[in-house]
Amino acid sequence: MSQSYDRGLVEDFGRWREFSAGMWAWIFHKFTGWVLVGYLFTHIAVLSTALQSPEAYTTTIQSLEGLLVVRILEVGLLAVAVFHILNGLRLLFVDLGLGLGSQDRSFYASLLLTGAIVVASVPTFLAGVFG
Amino acid sequence: MAERYSSFEVGGRRWLWQRITAAFLVAVLAFHFFLLHFVNHADEVTFAMSQARMQELTYFSLMILFLLTATFHGVNGVYNALVNQGISGTRKTAVKAVLGVASAVLIVQGVRTALAWAGGVPI
Repeated sequence: MSQSYDRGLVEDFGRWREFSAGMWAWIFHKFTGWVLVGYLFTHIAVLSTALQSPEAYTTTIQSLEGLLVVRILEVGLLAVAVFHILNGLRLLFVDLGLGLGSQDRSFYASLLLTGAIVVASVPTFLAGVFG
Repeated sequence: MAERYSSFEVGGRRWLWQRITAAFLVAVLAFHFFLLHFVNHADEVTFAMSQARMQELTYFSLMILFLLTATFHGVNGVYNALVNQGISGTRKTAVKAVLGVASAVLIVQGVRTALAWAGGVPI
């Protein structure tokens, strides 16, 4: 018989110090999911300038990519996407019942790997924006 | 018996499809980022480059599938997050309708854009 686990109210952020690794993984996965779905709609809206004219598309993308703030947001997007991917893989394994005993360590590994990939990608993401 | 915490309906298929699309998106999203930020650089993007990629049937169909799976996975994820927060009754029905319309608009707009690049279905 399966056991239930009283995780308490996640909305009660006053007790954030008591949150376990799994709870943080749940919160981060939800947060990154909301960001990604919001970005999906924005992304298609920006790409839709291709419907106007080839020039409108090229100008829009190149103008946006010329802004430092956009490049920094893209690094943030990469961080969010990489974490969601890695934690998503962790969740697929959890769903399959694999590595349940290491689910906290696999969350920490997801965080570390996300950090490493993002830091290593910063030069590529900021290339050319400083002139 | 343990209490059931899932936001998904018993016997529903959305749980399974959320996992199937997740497995697909893990690979395609990583490919998308790699191709458009590391192989090609974002600041060098032009309409002609996007057009050249989209005129390949393999790439075109992969991007259409990417759009469909990402929309389903994202919108279904939002719906489940809201169900998990406890919405029910009329609010649940309204959320379902709004998300359904938003998905349809996103897919139509995405497909129109892909067709504009490719100049029609690249068969």
